[in-house]
Amino acid sequence: MSKMKTRFSFVLATLLSLTLVLSACGGSKESAGGGSGTDGDKPVELIWYTIGTPQKDVDKVMTEVSKYTKEKINATIKMKMIDWGDYSQKMQVNVASGEPMDIIFTSSGGFDYVQNARKGAFYKLDDLLDKYGQDLKKTIDPAFLSGSKVDAHNYGIPANKELPQQEVWRFNKNLLDKYKLDTSNIRSLDSLEPLLKTIKEKETGVTAFAMDKNYVPYVPYDYIIQNLPMAVKLDTTDYKIVNILETPEMKEALTTMHKYYKAGYVSPEAATTGSTNDLMTSGNWFLDRAQTQPLADNQWSASYGYPVVSTPASDAIITNTSVQGSIMAISANSEHPEKAMEFLNLLNTDQKLRNMVDSGLEGTHYKKVDDKHIENLPESKNYDMPSYSLGNNMLLYLNPNDPDNKWDEFKKFNSAGTNSPILSFNFDGTKVSSELAAVQNVKEQFWAALMTGTLDPETNLPKAIEKFNQAGLDKVIAEAQKQLDAWRAGGGK
Amino acid sequence: MVQFFRNLAKNKVMLFMVLPGAIWFFFFSYLPLVGTIVAFKQYRFSREGFWASIAKSEWVGWDNFKFLFSTDDAYVITRNTLLYNIAFILLGLILSVAMAILLSELVNKRLAKIYQTGMFLPYFLSWVIVGYFAFSFLSLDRGMLNQILGWFGADPVQWYSESKYWPYILVIVNLWKAIGYSSVVYLASILGIDKSLYEAAMIDGASKWQQIRRITIPMLSPIIIIMTLLAVGRIFYADFGLFYQVPRDSGTLYSVTNVIDTYVYRGLKTTGEIGMSTAAGLYQSIVGFVLVIVSNFVVRKMDKDSALF
Amino acid sequence: MAEVIRKKRDFHHISRGWNWVLNLIAAVFAFLCVFPFLFVVIISLTDEKTLARDGYRLIPAKWSLEAYRFIFQTGDTLLRSYGVTLLVTVLGTLISLILISLYAYAISRKSFRYRRFFAIFAILTMLFNGGMIPTYMVVTQLLSLKDTIWAMILPLAMNAFYIMILRTFYSTSVPDAIIESGKIDGAGDFYIFLKIVLPLSLPGLATIGLFSTLGYWNDWFNALLYIENPNLVPLQSMLMRIESSIQFIQQNSANSSLSMTALQSIPQDTARMAMVVLATLPIVFAYPFFQRYFVQGLTVGAVKE
Repeated sequence: MSKMKTRFSFVLATLLSLTLVLSACGGSKESAGGGSGTDGDKPVELIWYTIGTPQKDVDKVMTEVSKYTKEKINATIKMKMIDWGDYSQKMQVNVASGEPMDIIFTSSGGFDYVQNARKGAFYKLDDLLDKYGQDLKKTIDPAFLSGSKVDAHNYGIPANKELPQQEVWRFNKNLLDKYKLDTSNIRSLDSLEPLLKTIKEKETGVTAFAMDKNYVPYVPYDYIIQNLPMAVKLDTTDYKIVNILETPEMKEALTTMHKYYKAGYVSPEAATTGSTNDLMTSGNWFLDRAQTQPLADNQWSASYGYPVVSTPASDAIITNTSVQGSIMAISANSEHPEKAMEFLNLLNTDQKLRNMVDSGLEGTHYKKVDDKHIENLPESKNYDMPSYSLGNNMLLYLNPNDPDNKWDEFKKFNSAGTNSPILSFNFDGTKVSSELAAVQNVKEQFWAALMTGTLDPETNLPKAIEKFNQAGLDKVIAEAQKQLDAWRAGGGK
Repeated sequence: MVQFFRNLAKNKVMLFMVLPGAIWFFFFSYLPLVGTIVAFKQYRFSREGFWASIAKSEWVGWDNFKFLFSTDDAYVITRNTLLYNIAFILLGLILSVAMAILLSELVNKRLAKIYQTGMFLPYFLSWVIVGYFAFSFLSLDRGMLNQILGWFGADPVQWYSESKYWPYILVIVNLWKAIGYSSVVYLASILGIDKSLYEAAMIDGASKWQQIRRITIPMLSPIIIIMTLLAVGRIFYADFGLFYQVPRDSGTLYSVTNVIDTYVYRGLKTTGEIGMSTAAGLYQSIVGFVLVIVSNFVVRKMDKDSALF
Repeated sequence: MAEVIRKKRDFHHISRGWNWVLNLIAAVFAFLCVFPFLFVVIISLTDEKTLARDGYRLIPAKWSLEAYRFIFQTGDTLLRSYGVTLLVTVLGTLISLILISLYAYAISRKSFRYRRFFAIFAILTMLFNGGMIPTYMVVTQLLSLKDTIWAMILPLAMNAFYIMILRTFYSTSVPDAIIESGKIDGAGDFYIFLKIVLPLSLPGLATIGLFSTLGYWNDWFNALLYIENPNLVPLQSMLMRIESSIQFIQQNSANSSLSMTALQSIPQDTARMAMVVLATLPIVFAYPFFQRYFVQGLTVGAVKE
């Protein structure tokens, strides 16, 4: 028996020592890389995770970008793109597993900024910002930097872009023109009906109202956590947090959605549809809802290759979601946080770099029309990047149809937005984390089907509300209310 | 000790042969076991990667499990996993043995061979493909089932949001995929049964039905037991592809399509709570392990040779 | 005498009527098994506009090859995915055959002193595992396999169940006497394994090999977890992104003659089904020739030592 034991422990010991050797190998490699981080001669490689459908020419463009950054700050860039639908989930896992990375795209919608900052995913930037980010501080609207503070610390650099969030209805202009449809009276969800009806009757194979499973009808509330049913009314005076599903506005919107769904305006599969990419590519859609910015129509048209127009569906409101709509953070496990900060500073202030990242290589992906405007070349389909997620927008070259004063329009738009009552209040969910997880699970079950109109709210809304309450939503709301009241008492800071 | 090294030297070739495989098991099976301690921690990120993060995270005891049992989630996913697997095992067994006997009785062996080949096809397809197949039938506006309902003047059914149909759909899809294979396996065993047994029975005037009951099924029972035991051992593990790809991850169906495996995956995906997801996975491992031991014990009592260990 | 037996055999057969009924049942079930594939083939050959109007029909009003034309225009993307799947399948099957056959052989030899230990070492893994998340961490952190083809190959390379099947196969179909005689002739263990045991156990190896080929070809889960690089996306996981698969193949195609405006006539729905057909075709053609090995797999595995 004892012999057997020795044998066993011997094998185990061998295997263990083997792993040690292996992991030691891995470790030494990393530390060798880390040594050069302290401003040595060897350039540092920064790994940058960002959102969007992976583009074919990313590596090609990044090689050029690296040549430039090597010269400026002695760093090279490796960009990794993760598709829209997968981003939150894959980054969740990447960060948790300690995947090497330096710069991370984060936002209120994709890979939640506040929650992950609290969990310790991001590097605290306060000192770095003072040391390496002076230029950047001057260019970015201060509302962004103050609005993205979590517990009074900066964990990321927001992209300088439109500050308020405004919803619009987007239309495929080809179809609008074909049936001579008028959009001047469109604003509410209900006002869309005659148009949807025309398209449904006359165009087979076109999705009248395009949406994916993340669609939520617009109601004039601001959410405590995006897409969890806790919200405060925009014109609130008592700052009461309510369950959004219990509000008359939401009930009405869902009833309309269900009517549209039954009429066939909405794709039958909307509640399980991960993205509308293929619809946008093929042009087989008539209308959808999106967030806008000044002159957005030009940008959409340029990127889809056919004309798109839009009309407002809501007011322009500055919310946490909009302020934290696009942030670049430095990973807590970054080996080179200083270099990463230097890079972010450069990216947000250097026009040449910012445009290279955005539009690719001159002569390959785009050509210059004049000193401000550019035009896409056919190759641009291999490098079609989302502008909003890649840093300061106001450095970008303009689309052919954009007026010269585009960025002034942005500044005007930004100053015209109204503040949400709970702007810069960030909920800390640690005390109710198991309730939050349970609420998340209920949300997964009901949310998409209700919001897309797949389910009849008459019978299913009460059911969903009950499920949420069972999962402990009241407790979460009570905790949030407590924090919100304390926040107000403290002067809303 | 000297003896030990001498033994080692004597077995060096064999040791060398198992080494690559043993290393694989170490990395892909045993090392992850160590990682399950995250289930007892409130996972927080640390600069030095996953293992350091585990070490530095705070112990929270059973808190992560509390989350699982605080709602009826644990009950629902356990119930779904078990009931579906029981249905798959029982119906699969009955139908595939029946199909095997049926095939063995066919006069024209060439035709029987062609049927077999046809039935075998679904086994070779991935769940992704099967998901597309199911969609071609179940799509609300284009699917074949709703068209057929339309011929009878019935209203179309929203297959992907009506949970009441899914227990049947999942069982049918699973049987569709599995029966061909298992019936061909049983058929191979039937063909291996000594023909003289049947001849002797016929001389005694046994009817066809009696022959099946007294000869075929008893002769098949060892392989039936083995195949069933293998399935029972995995009863706490659901086929991820079936429950994830075929219902197209539709939220309204979760009450009947969520099984432990999909729950763990979604937990990771939506809440990102590593600790809680691992806890759910650990719960699966432990109960699964107990079930295997118990079922093996039962089989051992019945028939010692058929036991797995 | 022979005559009498034949008569009895005839009597053994079921009656004509029953034969007819049983044939019908078997034929209907077999047809139902094949039908969804045929249906998808038909859908992929339907005209896009007709499909939008009529839904999925068995006999569409208008046929069209447009979907396939589109896919072959952007063919390099699909081809690359085919290549990835093929590479993973071939390499993976080879590696797993080597690992499994060596391991199984060693623990099947009575002369191997530690056979019991290693047999249990393998069997235990069938009973207990760490689950998805810790495995993920080992693969990405410790082994750094993320975004490499190895992340699709190694996690599927071993399987205690196959080891048990093959061990049983060795001990039933390779007589000890042959190995002993080889030993007497002075051959080493390795030589015996290569020259005597392997040739004798080819059917068993073929079975395991085919199981693992099928496993690799149909795997999408590992790609879902570990692959981000669009150049390493295998066939199955490309099909998984139902709503953006068309965009994916169009964007990753080198064929830039597909200009922006031409894209609006993309046969979106039929092209997806065409991709399903193209991904399934190799299997549909190959499996009838290999099916008996799959049966052998379980029947061999079932006969325990």
